[in-house]
Amino acid sequence: MVENARSINIAASILLAIGILYIVGPLYLTLSTASQSYEYMLRNGLAWVPGTELFANMGKVIHDTRIPIQMLNSMIVAFSNALATCILSFLSAYAIVYFRIRWAGVAFALILATIMLPLDIRVITTYQVASNIFSPLNAVLDFTGLNSLIEMMFGAPIQLELSVLDTHFGLIAPLVAHGTGTFLFRQFFLTLPKDLFKAARMDGAGPLRFLIDILLPLARTSFASLFVLTFLSGWTQYLWPLVGASTPDMQTAVVGLARLVPDADGQVPDFPMIMAGAVLVSLVPLTMIALLQRFLVQGLVLSEK
Amino acid sequence: MSSESSLFSHRWLPALLLAPLLLLIVLFFYVPVFQAFYWSFFLEQPFGGGSEFVGLQNFQRVLSDAEFWAATGRTVIFMLTASALAVVVPLMLAIAADRKIGMSYPARNILVWPKGIAGASIGVVFAFIFNPFVGLMGPLNALFPGLWNPGIDGTDAFITLVAAHVWSGIPFNFVILLAGLRSIPPTMYQAAAMDGAGPWRRIFDVQLPLIMPQLFLTFVLEFTESITSVFALIDTITGGGPGGSTTLLVYKIYVDGFRGFDLSGASTQTAILMVFVLLLAACQFYFLGRRINYER
Repeated sequence: MVENARSINIAASILLAIGILYIVGPLYLTLSTASQSYEYMLRNGLAWVPGTELFANMGKVIHDTRIPIQMLNSMIVAFSNALATCILSFLSAYAIVYFRIRWAGVAFALILATIMLPLDIRVITTYQVASNIFSPLNAVLDFTGLNSLIEMMFGAPIQLELSVLDTHFGLIAPLVAHGTGTFLFRQFFLTLPKDLFKAARMDGAGPLRFLIDILLPLARTSFASLFVLTFLSGWTQYLWPLVGASTPDMQTAVVGLARLVPDADGQVPDFPMIMAGAVLVSLVPLTMIALLQRFLVQGLVLSEK
Repeated sequence: MSSESSLFSHRWLPALLLAPLLLLIVLFFYVPVFQAFYWSFFLEQPFGGGSEFVGLQNFQRVLSDAEFWAATGRTVIFMLTASALAVVVPLMLAIAADRKIGMSYPARNILVWPKGIAGASIGVVFAFIFNPFVGLMGPLNALFPGLWNPGIDGTDAFITLVAAHVWSGIPFNFVILLAGLRSIPPTMYQAAAMDGAGPWRRIFDVQLPLIMPQLFLTFVLEFTESITSVFALIDTITGGGPGGSTTLLVYKIYVDGFRGFDLSGASTQTAILMVFVLLLAACQFYFLGRRINYER
């Protein structure tokens, strides 16, 4: 189609340039300030030009703070969150789509409802559950009267106690309890031709063989998309790791970064060092986006179709 | 074995496949949601000090608390301003990036970057950039003292929060809206062009109507997002201040529950916030969903 679209193309270019500036500007200022000394920052404020102190500031972060071990925690949380979400969502979507079960619709609705109320809203009571993951069981035993029966027979009621606070499992599990992955895989399964299933059945493939030999290879791209998406989401979590881990050595890097800023007013904080920390903490997810952007974009689109 | 059966029949395998995820979801989603409502009818003592049924007293206490209403008001204002901007800005960018111009390729790449930066990280960065003494506004503040100070002026602090929220929200909304725009068949544009609609006109007569589903979706998700994810920004940029002027509900719940140990109050507010979020989504589906033409 040939037409004169000069005015709109110029407007669009200007708009995009502003958009890019808005995104890159703060990142550039972070990097340039991270490469200046504290004295420079005190004299000149934020740095418009990069200096030579980047590695010195990063060294300060690595040696004087808990960021390195917290980055390891972030890595464990993000990676496990992504892996567990991929596997569990794949299995549950498989059960919902390919099995004749009467309660498939109910199960899917139960899983999907988790999208409505994010973890940040229910953090108070999630914390209580995490502080004793058997508390629901204890409550059920108490409520049904089973515990008084047990008390009569054995002399003491069952009161189990296990806290997952301050553990990697506790940081990860509430993140996995989410329906996006199941939704994504279900949508993918529904796009596959029905004949695929029939052909596999005719060749005598059972449920497990169909799952492993046919669905798994086909779903590789969906896996990659979901993995990138949940990895980034795990890495960037803030409120849950903030309350779910109380010792610095169990906290994640993002929480550790926020704690670098002193609470009290007074002396100007060592912003170059803090910005160097921000650079370090964002390095892993940004690299991931640069390398796997295709999957990220696809994941974002698929997860909301 | 009948070949026409298009589904597996198995007694325990599907249950086994679903069990791990359902167990996690029950434990870390349904139990906490239930408990928030349950506790809102009890007076909970912190650290397992027992509880006492108090009926609607918690609700009475929360609803008669001026602080609660102030936080709710701020949440609604933030929701309306921040999420409107967080959809409209990516919408304009997506329409621009959908055109075949040189800038659209770098833009499609760069505008996704914020997805990898945690809300708390960008909060720390924005707190520095908008710092009244050493930040962007430092030189201007030296010339006109008191022009910009998020540490004293609640409006300045609020603007900083909105700017950071829009920054974080660009990737998701941009990607969704751009995908919607790119799925519009070229024949639609050609037909509109034949009818004499220029490129500007087609934005309003072709593109916007046809991406209504995506636009609707981004609004629904953005409303919830702006209510919850703002926590990281508040905690790192303003700490709820100055003078409580950026204490939104999600932050107040955290402060009441984890710093004030008022579990009943925090649970009651959680319950109210949950009902609010669910009602909001229901309303949007009901009112907006009906007026959207999904046909292509």
